[in-house]
Formats: sequence, structure tokens, C-alpha cells
Amino acid sequence: MRRRSLEIVLAMVGGTFLISVPWVIPALIDSFWVSVITEILIWSLFASSVNLLFGYVGLLSFGQALYFGFGMYGVALGIDHLGLSFWPAFGLGIFSAMAMALVSGVFAVRLSSHYFAIITVVFSLIFYFLAVSDKPLTGGDDGINFSLPPLFSFDGKVFSLTDPTLQYFFVLAVVSLCLFLMHRVINSPLGKGFLAVRDNDLRASLIGLNVYVLRLIAFVMAGCLTGVSGALFAFFGRYASASYMFYQVSGEAVVWTIVGGAGTLFGPLVGTALFIVIREIVSSHWEHHSLIVGLLAILAVIFAPKGIVGLWNGWVNRPGEREAPRPVPQPLTLQAEP
Amino acid sequence: MKDTVLLLAMNGLIWGLIIALIALGLSVIFGLLDIINIAHGDFFMVGTVLAWFSLSLTGNFWIGFVVAPLVGFILGAVIQRLVIQPIHGAAALSIVATFGLSLILQETVRITFGATPGRILAPIPGTVHLFGVDYDVYRLFAAAVALAALGGFFLFLQHTKLGIWMRAVRHDRETAVAMGIPAKRVYVLTFGIGFALAAFGGAVAAPITTVDFRGGVDVLPFCFMAVIIGGLGNLPGTVAAAVLLSFLEGLIQSIADPTSARISSLVLMSAVLLLRPQGLFKGFAK
Repeated sequence: MRRRSLEIVLAMVGGTFLISVPWVIPALIDSFWVSVITEILIWSLFASSVNLLFGYVGLLSFGQALYFGFGMYGVALGIDHLGLSFWPAFGLGIFSAMAMALVSGVFAVRLSSHYFAIITVVFSLIFYFLAVSDKPLTGGDDGINFSLPPLFSFDGKVFSLTDPTLQYFFVLAVVSLCLFLMHRVINSPLGKGFLAVRDNDLRASLIGLNVYVLRLIAFVMAGCLTGVSGALFAFFGRYASASYMFYQVSGEAVVWTIVGGAGTLFGPLVGTALFIVIREIVSSHWEHHSLIVGLLAILAVIFAPKGIVGLWNGWVNRPGEREAPRPVPQPLTLQAEP
Repeated sequence: MKDTVLLLAMNGLIWGLIIALIALGLSVIFGLLDIINIAHGDFFMVGTVLAWFSLSLTGNFWIGFVVAPLVGFILGAVIQRLVIQPIHGAAALSIVATFGLSLILQETVRITFGATPGRILAPIPGTVHLFGVDYDVYRLFAAAVALAALGGFFLFLQHTKLGIWMRAVRHDRETAVAMGIPAKRVYVLTFGIGFALAAFGGAVAAPITTVDFRGGVDVLPFCFMAVIIGGLGNLPGTVAAAVLLSFLEGLIQSIADPTSARISSLVLMSAVLLLRPQGLFKGFAK
């Protein structure tokens, strides 16, 4: 039971911390860190989409930035060009990311392993170049700015994300909801199908699972998570830019996920938090913080190939707690009398 | 108009030969070690920077042609031993590790070389009149060097002990080990050779392109395209695809902008991946 109670304590501490951030952090450090934590939450949702595909379905997507960009531009263009209010723009961002994921997924999930990783990069590069070259629509690398419409108005009072505390709780609520839904899906029969495909797609197909459809569903779901994170990031930064669709953005999410622990719900959150906190702390003193990021990525895959959360799980399940190894069944043997 | 088409097509052809050299390194690493090397563009970039430093330190450009592949080879061998070998060819981990490597190489160059792009003047100045256009002599020379290096590499693969070992390990690792081939050492050397090819490509290309710590970022997708369209691990196919792609992009650039040219080759690549994942040239190679 040690592990279970430890995890409950950890979850309570983590939950209390996340809820108290807007009051505790400005008092202890600086209100700037509230926005850093908001950013961590948004990016960890992005990393979670990589995790959903890689950790649970075995597909390494290196092109999630494409759907992130669609989420961003859905919001930015919805507000700036179509004059939408907050919620329709949010919906447009998520919808366009999912639609794009469906269209590209139809082709991409036919491939597996290296080929899948490469075709996802190719798709994201195509749209990156399109977005960069179509400056009038997307603003290219400079991006487009927009002013934030109010979240809702109540009793004549207008609530908007320009209030950092409200923004923080809005992001926290959306990210928690997404992670909760992802958790539910993974523990549903559909999720068991995902795991079966991840572990052995041939066997999964032999027991009657439709591997292609399962992969496509996972791909669109991951596109949805990415779209939500892109939309949130657009609200957070009040702008959208083609530079977020470049393959290096996707690469960072893969690194965060694997360093944090792929195939675990909180791994991406841990990995993202680690890298962004390091970036924020180091970059103010030393401009070459990527050196540390690169070094950490390499050390992580060598010494903790299952990620930080994987390392933690291994540590908590030390001998004594681990299931006793089952005796290997010996084959029946018969020997003829000489 | 005809002159522009010819000029861009020639540029494409020559750039394609240099890219072929870099993509060959990527293909060798991929074929033998089964690693998606995200840092390969940066290996090329390191080559351009080494060419810059050897020129600025010695005043002689040609020293870079020796220094770049040599340093590249050593760096590659060390990286393989320290970073790649411990992860045992796990594809996902290799992506993360080489991504980290790419950050480290870029940042190290940014610290030592600086963030401002540099430009090396052509060591062989002047132009020649060729097919009705004036063409830089150095570009022609670079193409010849790249071609010679490609030929040299294939001779090396066919006729030296190490080359035969490399092919044997790729073909059937277990049998190769059983025959007494030191597979681990072959892996170390292969990664070194892959890095050396990219770095040499960088040194040759340095006067044509700019020397910049982000110079590998554009080259990487192009190399992957060549490797995929040529067929993963199919070395002659990779070379053919690199030249063909770059030539086509040059042609398309004469009627449209470079971005559209890049987009059309990416679309071509998606089609190849989906319809002929074994590459365009399967059947031509052994």
C-alpha cells in the first residue's frame, strides 16, 4: 500500500499547489512566475498529445506542431478576421485542428514506426511553408496579433482573460478537464484497444481489432488535445505565428514527453515543467540555456529511458512491493522406458 | 528567361550533388544503426563552421577540406560511443538523443562562432561561359569534388575491409558477428563516417551558402526527403534522389518562388511515402 498512499499524498500536495498558485507564487517569488506556470500547463497539454499517440498507441508523431498552429490560427483568424467572440473562436481553433488531424491522419496512420514519424514531419512542414508564404493571411513568422474578447459577462460585469488570475484558472480548468478525459479514455475499452495496438499491432488485428481505425481515432483525439493547447496559447499570447508550426516545436514536445515519462498521465507535465523552469531560470543569467536542455535530453535517454515518472514508478515499486515473479511453467515431459 | 531557367537548373544540380553527400551520410547511419538522426543537418553546419575556422586561422581555405571530415569523423565516433550506443537502437530514444545533440552542436557553435552568419568568398574566383550563361567556377569545382567524394565512398564501400564489414553488418548482423566482424566497432566507425560525409559536404558548400549556427535546420528536411525518396538505406537511390529533387526544385524556382518549390517536393515526398515506401528506385539497386 505504500505506493498508493504516497501517490495520494503527492496528488493532494500537487493539487493544493496548483490551486494556490495565484496567491502563493506572487507572495513567495514573483507574479511573473504565475504566467510561467500557466505556460507550463498549456505546453504540457501539447506534450500530452504526443504522449497519447506515442505512450499509448505506439505512434511517434513528430508533427504535432501542425495542429498546434491550426488551434492558434483558428482562434486568431476567428477573432481578427471573422470577428468571433471568445467561445466560438475557441471552438473554431479546436475544430480546425481536429479536421486537419482527420485529413492528415487518414494518410499518416497507414504507416508505422519511422515512416509515421517522417510523414507527420512532412505534413507539418508543408503547412509551415504555406503559412510562412501566405503572409497576408497568417502574418508569416511575425504572426498576427488580436485583442482578447471577454470570456463572459455576468450581471453587467465583464470577465476577461486579461486578468492573470482568471487566465490561470481558466487554463488550469481546461487542461485538467482534457487530462481527465484522456485518463478516462485510456481506461475505457477503447484505451485497452490502443494499448493492444501499441504492444503488438499484428496480434491486435488478429483478435479482431481494427488497427487502422483505432490509430485514426487516437490521432484525431491527439489533434484535439493539441488544438486545445494551441488555442489556449493563442489566448495566452494574444497572437498566432507560423513559427510555432515548425518541426522543432514538435521535437520539443517529444523530448518533454519522453524525458518526463511516456505512457504515464503526468509524465508530460513533469517533463514540460522541468524544461520550462530550467529555461526561465537559466535564460535570465545565461543566454545559452539550450546547451543544458540538450544535455538533459541526452542524459535522460541514457540513464532514465522510461522518463522521470517511469524512474519514480520503478523506485516506488521496489522489491517486496513488486508482484512475485510467476513460476515458469515447465512443459510436460515424458520419457519412454528404455 | 531561358538563361534564368538554365542557371537555376544548374544551381539545383550542383546543390543536389552536395546534398547527396550529406544525405548519403544520413542514409548510412540510418541503414546500419537504424537511427533517425535529427542532428544530421547540424553535422553539415559544423562542417561549414570548421571550414570558416580553418580559413580564418590559417588563411588557407583548402585545409578545411581535410579538417572538416577529420574532426567530423572523430566527433561522430565519440558521439556514437557516448550517446548512441547506450540507447541500443531504440528509435524513439534515438530521436530524443539526436535532438539533444542538435541543440548542443548549435549552441556550441553559437558560443564559439557567434550568432551572426558569415560568408566565405569563393576561393576560386571568376566565372566561365557555359551554355550561354556565366557560371561561377567554384560551383563547378564544388560539384566535381562532391562527385569525386561520392565515387570515392562507393569504392570504399566495395573494396576496403571496413566497407565490406559495413555492408555485412547491415545485411545480417548476427551472421557478421559470428564470422568475427566486430559489429560494435563498425557502428562507431559508421557514425563517424556519416558525420564526416556531412561535415565534408559542409566544407565544400561553405562558400556557396552562409556559415550560420542554424544552417543545418533547412538542410535536414531536404536530406530526409532524399533518403526517403531514394529508399531508406538504398545508397545509390539516395544520391539519385538528392540530385533529382534539387534539380526539380531549381526548375520550379524559375517559374515560382522557392517556398512553392519546397512545398512541391514535400508533396512529392508524401506521395512516395504513401505509394512507394520502399523508395522510387527499388529494383535498380542491389
